[in-house]
Amino acid sequence: MMNFDRAIKTGYQSAAKIALVAIVLLLSACAATTIDISGTFPAPLIQKLPLTVGVFYDPAFTNHSFIEINDNTGDDEYIINSGSSQIELFNTMLPAVFQNVIELDSIESANARSDLDAVFVPAIEEFQVGLPQKTRLNVYEIWVKYNMRLAGSNGDYIADWVMTAYGKSPEETFQSVDDGVNDAANVALRDLAASFTLGFSDIPEVNDWLRVQNALGE
Amino acid sequence: MNMHNPLQLIARLAFAFPVAFILSSCTTTEIDEFRQSATDIAFDESIVILGRRQNNNYETEESFVQCVGDVVSRGQGAISVVNEGEFLDAMFPFFEPRTAPMRTGHLEQLMAVDVAAEKLEEFGIEYIVWLDGITERSDQSGSISCTIGPGGGGCFGFGTWTDDSNFEAEIWDIDTMTSVGSISTESNGQSYMPAVVIPIPLIARVEANACSGLGGQLKQFINGT
Repeated sequence: MMNFDRAIKTGYQSAAKIALVAIVLLLSACAATTIDISGTFPAPLIQKLPLTVGVFYDPAFTNHSFIEINDNTGDDEYIINSGSSQIELFNTMLPAVFQNVIELDSIESANARSDLDAVFVPAIEEFQVGLPQKTRLNVYEIWVKYNMRLAGSNGDYIADWVMTAYGKSPEETFQSVDDGVNDAANVALRDLAASFTLGFSDIPEVNDWLRVQNALGE
Repeated sequence: MNMHNPLQLIARLAFAFPVAFILSSCTTTEIDEFRQSATDIAFDESIVILGRRQNNNYETEESFVQCVGDVVSRGQGAISVVNEGEFLDAMFPFFEPRTAPMRTGHLEQLMAVDVAAEKLEEFGIEYIVWLDGITERSDQSGSISCTIGPGGGGCFGFGTWTDDSNFEAEIWDIDTMTSVGSISTESNGQSYMPAVVIPIPLIARVEANACSGLGGQLKQFINGT
């Protein structure tokens, strides 16, 4: 009788283990794929503006993540984390545009600093991804809409403008979705850096402020 | 037991290889050159070959740009070619898809920017070559089906397709800030994939031919020969 009970118990345990493995396998099959965007960006080749600018990265920007939904099931299909690459880009780009760049812990901390000419706050308003299997085009695409805000160290409004970035990467044989999305995102981030560095001084409100600061030179 | 006679096998191979060679060689390439000014290049001068990536529907493949660069920088009359990626990073942000000069007038504006002009001078670049084009696949037909079972597997069928490569190279002289000419290439060929047990790809080397044809002509053009 004892052996029979033990056999039943062992049987249940084995069945439970098999069921657990099956559930884990099923869940992993349904789980969304996480894509962490990574890349390096060259420093822009431009004349620096003689200004000291504080930059504040909001946690929503630092940890930016976009979820692409599967159209058929409604489940999360891809989770695209671009926050760290965005920071990498801005930390490369801003020191090339301004003489001094100081990263701030909070916007309020700018009030205590007398050395800042302005505070810059980037934010992502929209993020879109185009996958070849959905668009039927043989390219991966990334489109990002940014909101850029420039304020005085005391919080006074200087400028607030929208910028868009677009990147595409051709679909290649045996290329993974991760690589395709990563390549397209890197092109988009370079696109943003290119238009920001070359167009910053031309934004009307920024241009007016730069003239007041006597930062445009000859 | 069904053993192949070695003579039969040799006879089959002797038939298959020439047929494969003939079929895989079905590629035609046409190159046109249009010269506006005389060109020459000194041994210590370089060129850079850049792919155009402004088109919505396609972008010139990095691998094709690299291939043409390899042809130009090798063999008789070799010219020093600056790597595209290295150039784009060093000149960032002036040659990105959104900011790259589209006409020679834009190049004049770019050369007015001191940091950009100095960097170009540092590279020793005499000519910028803009490559624009794509290889497209069309007329795909046929089908191949493969099966696998306990006793083994195999494929049977026939597939065919056509590849068309169209590329144009526009050459800009940095000193005069003018376009000195252009070279275009059109290459097409039909590929076949018969499958009897195993698929045998008989691929027309369309893009490779476009690359070698364009690269060779570009080398001659810049050397002024």
